[in-house]
Amino acid sequence: MTTEQEKPEIADESGDKYKYGFVTDIASDTAPKGLSEDIIRLISQKKGEPDWLLERRLEAFRFWQKLKEPTWAKLSYDKIDYQDLYYYSAPKQKVAPKSLDEVDPELLKTYEKLGIPLKEQEVLSGVVAVDAVFDSVSVATTYRAKLAEKGVIFCPISEAVKEYPELVKKYLGSVVPYTDNFFAALNSAVFTDGSFVYIPKGVRCPMELSTYFRINAQNTGQFERTLIVADEGSYVSYLEGCTAPQRDENQLHAAIVEIVVLKDAEVKYSTVQNWYPGDKDGKGGVYNFVTKRAACRGANSKVSWTQVETGSAITWKYPSCILQGDNSVGEFYSVAITNNRQQADTGTKMIHLGRNTSSKIISKGISAGRSNQTYRGLVKVSPNAANARNYSQCDSLLIGPDCGSHTIPYVENRNKTAKLEHEATTSKISEEQLFYCQQRGIGEEEAVSLIVNGFCKEVMQHLPLEFAIEAAKLINISLEGSVG
Amino acid sequence: MGELVQKVELMGSDLPWLEGLREKGAVFFERQGLPTAKTEAWKYTRPRDLLADDFILPPLEEEKENACTCGEHCTCGHHQREGEDFPLSAYVIDFENGALEHIAHNLPRGVTIKPLIEAIYEDDGIRKYLNKSFDMEKNPFAALNTAYLEQGLFITIEKNMRLDKPLALVHHSFSCHENLMFHLRNVIVLEEGVKAEIVEYYNYSGNEKSRYFTNIVNEIYVGRHAELKHYKFQDEAFKAVHIAYNAVKVKGEGRYNGFCLQRGGNLARNETRLSLTEERAEAEINAAYIMNGWAVIDTTTDVEHLAPYTKSTQLVKGVVGGQAKGVFQGKIHIAPMAIKTEGAQLHKALLLTDEAEIDVKPELEIYNDDVKCSHGAASGELDADQLFYMRSRGIGEEEAKQILVDAYLQDVLEKINNQDIKDWLAAKAKLAK
Repeated sequence: MTTEQEKPEIADESGDKYKYGFVTDIASDTAPKGLSEDIIRLISQKKGEPDWLLERRLEAFRFWQKLKEPTWAKLSYDKIDYQDLYYYSAPKQKVAPKSLDEVDPELLKTYEKLGIPLKEQEVLSGVVAVDAVFDSVSVATTYRAKLAEKGVIFCPISEAVKEYPELVKKYLGSVVPYTDNFFAALNSAVFTDGSFVYIPKGVRCPMELSTYFRINAQNTGQFERTLIVADEGSYVSYLEGCTAPQRDENQLHAAIVEIVVLKDAEVKYSTVQNWYPGDKDGKGGVYNFVTKRAACRGANSKVSWTQVETGSAITWKYPSCILQGDNSVGEFYSVAITNNRQQADTGTKMIHLGRNTSSKIISKGISAGRSNQTYRGLVKVSPNAANARNYSQCDSLLIGPDCGSHTIPYVENRNKTAKLEHEATTSKISEEQLFYCQQRGIGEEEAVSLIVNGFCKEVMQHLPLEFAIEAAKLINISLEGSVG
Repeated sequence: MGELVQKVELMGSDLPWLEGLREKGAVFFERQGLPTAKTEAWKYTRPRDLLADDFILPPLEEEKENACTCGEHCTCGHHQREGEDFPLSAYVIDFENGALEHIAHNLPRGVTIKPLIEAIYEDDGIRKYLNKSFDMEKNPFAALNTAYLEQGLFITIEKNMRLDKPLALVHHSFSCHENLMFHLRNVIVLEEGVKAEIVEYYNYSGNEKSRYFTNIVNEIYVGRHAELKHYKFQDEAFKAVHIAYNAVKVKGEGRYNGFCLQRGGNLARNETRLSLTEERAEAEINAAYIMNGWAVIDTTTDVEHLAPYTKSTQLVKGVVGGQAKGVFQGKIHIAPMAIKTEGAQLHKALLLTDEAEIDVKPELEIYNDDVKCSHGAASGELDADQLFYMRSRGIGEEEAKQILVDAYLQDVLEKINNQDIKDWLAAKAKLAK
């Protein structure tokens, strides 16, 4: 993807390695600061939404007002002033673009810098269809025609609301209701855009689908919403990437991802999260509060979460699987890297409800610098989930004397036939391994990255190829400056 | 709701500092209230049963003689108790319904055991230790215990003493009155180089349906190079509530070795909060629980590594039958300066019935890279093949289950170094009482 030479000027200045730290100078259409019913009405109106959706938004907002921000996570940050944020920011365009040629060239350039080839004709292999979300709106979705041939729907959610209202109405909020938690309620009230995917019965999606999120405008919260519905017997692999410009103040990102997996279907969801992590002293960076959940509704359904978390000043994220269907399978593979003053509280939930359900959790945490990282997970087996099976492994690697690593798994078993195993280890990089590498002429930093990549391998091999290469590079970049 | 904090006249009310401390305890308890589902430290064990009943303190000494109203055919166990002894050779200290009855006379020189209230009046060093090892603000039951500070022991063992027999603290409950509550505080101080064993035994006699509430706080101080082996067997009546809090501090190269077998109670919790405060201090916490019926049995540990080269291991195994619920919450905390530390923790549980439940939360909190820490948790049922193997050889189902359960608990029982205690507890760790 993007090579070292393309490093933008702003990033150089601070001596940071965040290569996506540039700002795109683009005129944007921004709603006034603050959050109120009027702002929500404005968002809804700008999007030309039907009344039922506005009603849902207002309901969520009213509920949110009654909630308190959760404090149970091992995170410390200044209180977020929800009235000091812009809840809507869109690149200014008179009319919605009909094709890529009409998209603002500034925008296209931004995505090119990010390494996302939006222009279909420029892509030779053409294996990935992209939906790019810039601040609050989706700017372009590629390969729609080709996908449409197969009956696959891949479009911005704001469009889906208008074009496929019955699908959206049926599934939106069915996995993550607005009553779920503080940030889910907030998102349900103000979400601006995101992707909608529907894979019809028996269709194997011919290419990987991908969404790229970018926060550009200042003081903007990004609240995107992704909804994936895999109908009976279908398969889709979905990728998600995120970046944001380097700014001194914190940006808020509170997203919801909902996945519905019906009988015999399979969804593979991969994320490389590389929001701006803040500088060495913890100034700036994205606050990332995400609710991701998949419901395996039908028998033999399968969902697999793979995530590489390298960015964000604060990460609060627990991709979960609700295994309702008999024989359904949930998987969670995660690599989380924190450096400097980053804080991450992340993990997963596996809720076993159906019979013969199985789940697997592989979590690798690497903390360096003065960062703190927590794995927090729940494996729950209900009385009816006969023969449930879970294997969890959480390993943490500590680099440097000032970082912290914490593991808090919850295991709740109410069925005797369930077999549950949990293992966790925490250690530093083995001196022997380091010595071995250095003895053979590999520099310390390189040796560390070699060992770390080996440590993460189990997870990385679950990433799609395009992502795996980028993710391996990201890990190296994230750890720079953590040794010696 | 029964009020747990009641206005009662306790011994030592003429001491202003003691009264002040009790009051503080009452305030801290009322401020926190009884833990609910939202109290993270009590997430799985909700002592809401306590709300349903009015618990009262045992009657005063002069009323006690006439307290048993069962008459000649006493069923409450008050009279059956006589002659029954602790089964092993030990220096026995007897408690009956939460009140100290008897301290062994033949204590070796260097071992001082005083009733708590006496030690408080004498004020000979106890204030250095009393209420110094835990935080009442985070501990509702320890705060409640402080509000009723009166009964219990102050045990000191002088430098380099090696005890030939264990000290046995035998707590016996019987039910002349319904709904009694006992608040006990033991302060145990092992000076430098001491080697000692302490056994706590909680049992009852008479009506097995008797309901009472035992709330114990042990403050244990292990000196440099000292070694304490602390065994506990909790065999309360099946409707009893038993809540124990052990606050342990271990100094340099000291060693604490705890083992707790829990079998009784309707709601029982044994919590150990242990701090390894100086270099090379070590701790081992092992526990087993076996239960049927409706019980909730909770084993909670919190091991704090505060100094370099400290080491801790934990092994907890449980067998859960009936509609019972087993809870394990374990935490290893490693402070930034505690380099070269090792912490290991393993919890395993066996579920015997469809209604049984197991909730586990093992936690690692690490603030330093030079450590080796691990934890593991597993749960499952009895192996059908193994059962079949035995059944096909003519062993009855109940017996076959018992053999497998014995085998399951074998490794944790093996951790007990004292053979007599091991045999005693192994014989008690059975499915049917």
